[in-house]
Amino acid sequence: MVTKSKLKTALAAERGVDFHKLALKKKEKAARKKKETGKGGAKPVKEDDAEDGDSNLEEDESDDEDASDEETFDIAQLDESDSDSEVEMEEKIQRKPKPTQKAIKAAKDAKAAKLIAEAEDDDDEEEEEDEEDIPVSDLEDLSPEDKEDLIPFTRLTINNTTALLASLNRIRLPTDKSVPFATHQTIVGVEPTADAIEDVQDDLKRELTFYSQALDAAKRARKLLKAEGVPFERPNDYFAEMVKDDGQMEKVKAKLIETASAKKASAEARKQRDLKKFGKQVQVAKLQERHKAKRETLDKINLLKRKRSENSGDVGATEADIFDVGVEQEIGKYSAGKGRAPKKEREVRPRRQEEVRQVWRRRELGRHERVQCQADEDRHERQDCQDGQVREEPADCWEAVID
Amino acid sequence: MAAVYKSLSKGSSQKTEAPSNGVRKNKQRVLILSSRGITYRHRHLLNDLATMLPHGRKDAKFDSKSKLFQLNELADLYNCNNVLFFEARKGQDLYLWMSKVPNGPTCKMHVQNLHTMEELHFTGNCLRGSRPVLSFDAAFDMQPHLQVVKELFMHTFGVPQGARKSKPFIDHVMGFTFADGKIWIRNYQINTVEPSKTKVDADAEGEKPASSKDRTKETDMNLIEIGPRFVLTIIVIQEGSFGGPIIYENKEFVSPNQVRSDLRRSKAGKHNARTEQHEESLLRKGDLGLQTSGGRKMPVDALDSRELFA
Repeated sequence: MVTKSKLKTALAAERGVDFHKLALKKKEKAARKKKETGKGGAKPVKEDDAEDGDSNLEEDESDDEDASDEETFDIAQLDESDSDSEVEMEEKIQRKPKPTQKAIKAAKDAKAAKLIAEAEDDDDEEEEEDEEDIPVSDLEDLSPEDKEDLIPFTRLTINNTTALLASLNRIRLPTDKSVPFATHQTIVGVEPTADAIEDVQDDLKRELTFYSQALDAAKRARKLLKAEGVPFERPNDYFAEMVKDDGQMEKVKAKLIETASAKKASAEARKQRDLKKFGKQVQVAKLQERHKAKRETLDKINLLKRKRSENSGDVGATEADIFDVGVEQEIGKYSAGKGRAPKKEREVRPRRQEEVRQVWRRRELGRHERVQCQADEDRHERQDCQDGQVREEPADCWEAVID
Repeated sequence: MAAVYKSLSKGSSQKTEAPSNGVRKNKQRVLILSSRGITYRHRHLLNDLATMLPHGRKDAKFDSKSKLFQLNELADLYNCNNVLFFEARKGQDLYLWMSKVPNGPTCKMHVQNLHTMEELHFTGNCLRGSRPVLSFDAAFDMQPHLQVVKELFMHTFGVPQGARKSKPFIDHVMGFTFADGKIWIRNYQINTVEPSKTKVDADAEGEKPASSKDRTKETDMNLIEIGPRFVLTIIVIQEGSFGGPIIYENKEFVSPNQVRSDLRRSKAGKHNARTEQHEESLLRKGDLGLQTSGGRKMPVDALDSRELFA
């Protein structure tokens, strides 16, 4: 006790711990333990000397039934101060290496371990882990061969509610009605949001429930803040630095535009594709239709031709009446067209021929005359002929050529 | 020791202060820092959170992974009473430590599904440093460990009133939801819309001016997400700050290392099964005497050409 640090002595003084009594108690306990272990034939447990006074205290508390009233008072005072003081933290920190120490000793001497376990029977599960048990989280370090013959055991989960609540009370900020809402701005939902989520993997519904939770909180917060007169909405003329700067917002906008345009483009492309597919079908149908029409007309023509040939053989006169194919009109039209043309030709042609003949005669006459005249002159010189005869001859000869 | 001494002295000073002050003022400062070896996404998430917390103090990467208790002294140096520490492991896993300095508690969580503000491309935006409304799921009040975590969230993510760089208006909500054993965190902008229709109606009908005023005052509200998004799985709660006994441990948490190794093993199992099958078939063939070496030898047939023409 002499080697205690100044701080600890100060601390103990503040708590009102009587060191003399503690020392007495410790001696008493050591004696008792020696007696017990001596009975079992095992070596005395010396670990108490390794620990320091504070942690010792707690052990004493746990197994000291015959402690005097004064002592229990002291201990009770210490114990209740545990909940929100730093002493407890220190104690717990120092208590941490204890289980391992004990575990080693347990391997050496089972009886001593049993004793210690008895001494600590009201402590938490965290200290009851033996060295034979390896938690699942430590299995990673083992090699696969070692793992095969291991029977995995699931570690008991630690949930020290009293300690949790104690540390919660130590740091808790008041959020009840006693303080204005603006100090904490915390809203707790009415009922668990998780109940509204059927499937956590369903992104849309999950996000929707999160959204509704936040929206509800925002509405409640606005009501409370308005009641307290705290400004809530940002006025439109209040400009300040934002979480996302302009560059980032520009990027967001660009992204939005990009997605919108991409959507539009894809829709357009799909439309075009459909149109193309459909257009092809239309084209094919049209072609087929055209082919069909052509075939039909060809058939009709063939039929007509046949009919006509039959008609000319003086058989179809009655046949046409029987089958009533309206061939007569067709033929009539056809034959009328054919019959008219030669008639006209006969009318026009002589006149036209005459004209052509005259043109040729006029045009060619001069040249022929000249040529012929020279030739005739030569001939006339020899045969002594007249001009008129010479003129007639080439005209006749040209007529023959034209015809 | 220094921490203990400080808390002691602070406690004594507070005792004298408390009656005169009435309510203790909510003073929070958060030290935000990461370990070494974080990826760019982790860094961006940290930056996003730092922009949202005007009462935060961002510090350089912390060098050590084993001596986390040194963070207490670091936080003390910067006058911070909260620490938000991002620990990266193997360059891929991110763990988030939330701690109250100096006396704890500390909560260690695994960060999953993280999407930073930048990569989410949400259209929401809010003032830098405006105080958020913290919306907690009702589940947070049901279990003690969740209560502790909620309190830690309140201290770290709630901007205290009158913080130095905070803005006077409230324009965003932070949602904390406990679902599927995980904590899902979302951040929304509060967008108020003028309900023009009701306003027109009220004017047209010419009702009592007071009621119409009330109606116009209560504008419609909708939320636009800002980002970032992430999911936290509680691993462990310690009583002290980066130390002390473990007072809560999540049994359901499976370490990402184990997940990966399981995947690898299942892949390896396929190969093992195939080789086993191959060996078995060889053995069977040997038993039938179909193999030249090993297994059972077939009795020599009298009609074998080698016997006949020997």
